Amino acid sequence: MKRIILIIPFVLTLIVSGFLLFYLLQDKDPKKPPSALLNEDIPKIEIPDLFNEKNFLTNVDFKDKLILVNFFASWCAPCKVEHPLFFKIKEDHPSLFIIGVDYKDLKNDALDYLKKDGNPYNFVGYDKQGLIGLEFGVFGLPETFLINKKGKIIYKHLGPLDKKIIENDIYPLLN
Amino acid sequence: MIFIPYLTENFLKYFLFLLICFFIFLLSGSANAYSEKDLKKITSKLRCMTCQNQSIHDSDADFSKDIKKIIVQKLENGHTEKEIIKFLVKRYGEYIVFEPQMNIKNYFLWFFPFVILAISLIFLIFRIKKN
Repeated sequence: MKRIILIIPFVLTLIVSGFLLFYLLQDKDPKKPPSALLNEDIPKIEIPDLFNEKNFLTNVDFKDKLILVNFFASWCAPCKVEHPLFFKIKEDHPSLFIIGVDYKDLKNDALDYLKKDGNPYNFVGYDKQGLIGLEFGVFGLPETFLINKKGKIIYKHLGPLDKKIIENDIYPLLN
Repeated sequence: MIFIPYLTENFLKYFLFLLICFFIFLLSGSANAYSEKDLKKITSKLRCMTCQNQSIHDSDADFSKDIKKIIVQKLENGHTEKEIIKFLVKRYGEYIVFEPQMNIKNYFLWFFPFVILAISLIFLIFRIKKN
């Protein structure tokens, strides 16, 4: 009995250290807080079309489709860096439905931006007040979400995409 | 003597009008003050996601301004602090709150110090008894 009691603090220290080590080795980046919506259903939304605000994209349109949602804005410099990559994604995966959501932007600025840099999106939504972004937990641009055919968010990337991220993280999920 | 009832009647009307205005002012004033106090309390518990360890209350970042607006709207619609925090945690994750929430993921964090304390006490009692 005496021996067991003497061993208890040592065992507890081992357990605590084990937990801490487990979390330390998880390769967590403090600059990229985990998304609350990862592996969750997409929120209920109605996204107005940037080109015609009378048209809306709703959750029904998300059914049985692999969807990439990219939040961007004409005022966002990193968005311009990743913008050409969406043409490449579209070329490599024509069946992927790519949605661009123009976040807290002036409509004319966004239209000019897409006219000048091209429009790689299948649908461009307009989130004037950031309410759609709020539903997706967006807090910085650009942010990209991948939604599977069951309507679950399976991947989120905070910040601009690059070739390495697309090839290593996104493409395997599309196949 | 003739003049007094005339004055009194007008005075009463005027007084009643002032009284109503005062109550309207008081009610609106107290509602705003309550909201401000509530807003400060809630926003102080929330982290600005785009700042370096600043609360939403202390921050002037766009993100914080947006969240403050949403909280004000929710408060005006009669939502409670718990409901507002739940709404934000659902969208931004637990990272948005400074204090870890009491849920199954955090039971270890909340209760482990007490478990350690209990074990230490048992250990201490055992030692004292022995001595």
